[in-house]
Amino acid sequence: MLKRHTGVILPTRAAAPGFRIELRGTAFCLVASGSWTVREVTDLDGGLKRLRVPIPPTPDFTGEMDISGIEQLDTAGAWLLQRTARLWEARGLKTRFSGMTEGFEILLEEVRRRSTQDRPADEGGASISGLVREWGVAVTGVGREAVLLTGFLGAVTATFVRIASQIWRFRPVSFVHHLDHTGFRAVPIIALICALIGAVIMQQGVVQLRTFGAETFAVNMVGILSLREVGVLLTAIMVAGRSGSAFTAEIGSMKMREEIDAMRTLGIDPMETLVAPRVLALIVVVPLLTFLGDMMCLVGGGLMAQVYLGLDAAAYIETLHNAIDMRHFFAGMIKAPFAALIIGLVGCLEGLKVTGSAESLGFHVTSAVVKAIFLVIVFDAVFAMFLSSIGI
Amino acid sequence: MSQTMSQEIVANRESETVIAVRGLAKSFGSQQIWKSLDLDVYRGEVLGVVGGSGQGKSVLLRVITGLVKPDAGTIRIFDRDVRDLSREEKVDMEARWGVLFQDGALFSSLSVLQNIQVPMREHLDLPQSIMDDLAFLKLAMVGLRPEAAHKFPSELSGGMRKRAGLARALSLDPEIVFLDEPTAGLDPIGASEFDHLIRKLQQTLGLTVYMVTHDLDSIFTVCDRVAVLADNMIVKTGTPEQLRRKPEHPWIEEYFCGERARAAKA
Ligand SMILES: Nc1ncnc2c1ncn2[C@@H]1O[C@H](COP(=O)(O)OP(=O)(O)OP(=O)(O)O)[C@@H](O)[C@H]1O
Ligand SMILES: [Mg+2]
Repeated sequence: MLKRHTGVILPTRAAAPGFRIELRGTAFCLVASGSWTVREVTDLDGGLKRLRVPIPPTPDFTGEMDISGIEQLDTAGAWLLQRTARLWEARGLKTRFSGMTEGFEILLEEVRRRSTQDRPADEGGASISGLVREWGVAVTGVGREAVLLTGFLGAVTATFVRIASQIWRFRPVSFVHHLDHTGFRAVPIIALICALIGAVIMQQGVVQLRTFGAETFAVNMVGILSLREVGVLLTAIMVAGRSGSAFTAEIGSMKMREEIDAMRTLGIDPMETLVAPRVLALIVVVPLLTFLGDMMCLVGGGLMAQVYLGLDAAAYIETLHNAIDMRHFFAGMIKAPFAALIIGLVGCLEGLKVTGSAESLGFHVTSAVVKAIFLVIVFDAVFAMFLSSIGI
Repeated sequence: MSQTMSQEIVANRESETVIAVRGLAKSFGSQQIWKSLDLDVYRGEVLGVVGGSGQGKSVLLRVITGLVKPDAGTIRIFDRDVRDLSREEKVDMEARWGVLFQDGALFSSLSVLQNIQVPMREHLDLPQSIMDDLAFLKLAMVGLRPEAAHKFPSELSGGMRKRAGLARALSLDPEIVFLDEPTAGLDPIGASEFDHLIRKLQQTLGLTVYMVTHDLDSIFTVCDRVAVLADNMIVKTGTPEQLRRKPEHPWIEEYFCGERARAAKA
C-alpha cells in the first residue's frame, strides 16, 4: 500500500474512506479522500455502484478524478478508480486524474495496463449442457474403466510371464515386504472379524430356526455359509480396505512426486518393481487369509453353539463333519486368488491414475476401495451362480 | 551511479525500521545456528540475505515470520514486539506481510485463482466478483496470462508456480514480502525477468522486500542492501557495491570477488 507521505508514519488512523461528486466548471469531478485500500473496497464498491455515471450535456464536458485527498492507496483502490474512469470514458467523458503523487501515478498506470477484460471461462461452471456432458462422461466412463482395467490385467499378465521366464527380474525383497504388510499384519484383524461374524450368524441362526425346532441346523448353515461365502468375502473386503488403499496411496504419492517418471528414465519398469510384487503378494496371501477366516468363522460359530445349543467341542465338530464336505471348502477357496487379483489390480491402477494434487490422491484411494469391493462382490455373485449350476 | 542512488535510498529510509531483530539465538539440538544475530530492515528497501548453505537463512525467515520460535532475542516488526501480540493482533500483522516459499507452496487442490483468493477470504469479507477482479489483476501484475487462472498448481511450470506464489503473497497488498530463493531453479532469462518483476512491484506497491538468495545477478540488479550470514551471525551489511569493494571477510571476498561475481558484474 502506498502512503501519500513517505517518511515517518504518524500512528493516527487513516481518515474514513469516501468520495463525492462535484461539478467544477465543465468537469465532473470525483473527489476521493481517505483510505482506498482492500479493506475498504467493499464499501467503496457499493458506493460507486450506486453512483450514476454522469451524462455530459454537451460534448466539451470532461471528467476528473481528484485524488489529492487520498491518504492510502493500494491495488484494490487503484483498480476501483480505474474502473470508474473507464466507465466514464465509455460514456464519452474524457477523464483524467489529478492530485497524484509520483507513487500513485505509477500504481494507477500499472493497474490500468493490467486490467484485462478478456478472461477464459472456468469450465467447471454448472449449466444444463455441462450436466448432460457430465452424465455422458460418467456413463461412457464405466466402459472406459472396464477397458482400462482389462488392459492393465493384460499388462500385469505380460509382466508375470516376463518375470517367470527371466527370474532375475523378480524382486524378492519387495515381495516379502508386501507379504508381511498385506498378510501377516492382517492376521489379527481378520481373525477377529471372522470369529465375530461366525458367532453372530450362529446366534441368529439358532434363534430363528428354533421356531421350527430346527436349531441344530444352524450348524449346517454356519458351516456352509462360512466356507463358501463369508470367509472369502470378509477377507477380501478387509484386504481391499487395508492393502488396496495402501497400494493406491503408495503408488499415487510416488506418481505425484514424479518418482515413477524418474524410474522410467532410469530404465526401471514400474510394472515389475511396484505392481508385480504387490499383486503377487496378494495372490499368495489372500487364500491363506481366507483359510484363516474360514476357520475363525467356524470357531466363532462353535463358541455360540456351546452357549445356545449346549454342544461341546467334540459334538460341534461331529455335527459339522456331517454337514459339510470338501466341495464347500473348495468353492470358497477357489475365489480367493481371483479376489486378490481384482484388489491388487484396482489398487495399483488407481495409484497410477493419480495426478498432481493432494485431492486427486484422496479421490483415487477412495475409489480404489469402493471399486475393489464392488468388483469382488459382483464376481462372487457370478461365481456362486456358476458353481451351483455345475452342482458344486 | 547506481551506487550513489542506492546509498541515497538507504540514507532516506534509515529513519523507519520495519523489522528490527536483536540478539537472536537459535539452536537445533546441539547444533547452534546463530548465537547473537542483529538485523534491521528499512521501509521500502530490497534487502538481500546471502550466506553459505546451512547458515540458517531459511530458518531466519521462518523465525521472523513466526513459524519457528527463537531461543532468545527480540523481533520487532512495525515497531511492535511480536511476542507481545495477542492472537487477533498477530492475524492482523500477518495480513501486512506476504511470504513466497521456495517452491511456491501453492495449495494443490485449489486453482491458481482460488489460491490467490485464499488470503482475501481468510482476512476480509469481499464479494466474489471483487475477489475475481482483484485476483485477475494480481495475476496480470506478476506476468501470468489469464489462461493460467483456472489451472491447478500441478499443471504449471516451476517459473509459473513461483509467479503464482508471488501473486498469492501480494494478494492483500502487504507492506513486506519475504521471498525464499525466488530465482532458484529458473533459467537465466526467467530469473532476470523475475528480478525485474520484483523491482517493478516494489516500486509500484511501495513494498519492503526481504529476499533470501544465492543469485549474484539478483543481488546486483535488485538489492538495495545485502546482509551476509556467516560464522553464526550477520557479519556485514551494506550495498552490493560496498561489499564488493571492501569485503573484510573471507566468505564475502570469495562470494563477491570470485569468478562468478566478476562474470555477473561484467
Ligand atoms: N527443523 C529442523 N530441525 C533440525 N535442524 C534444522 C531444522 N531446520 C533447519 N535445520 C538446520 O539448520 C541449518 C540451517 O538450515 P537452513 O535451511 O536455514 O539453511 P539455509 O541457510 O537456508 O541453506 P540453503 O542455502 O541450502 O537453503 C541446517 O544445518 C539445517 O540442518
Ligand atoms: Mg534455504
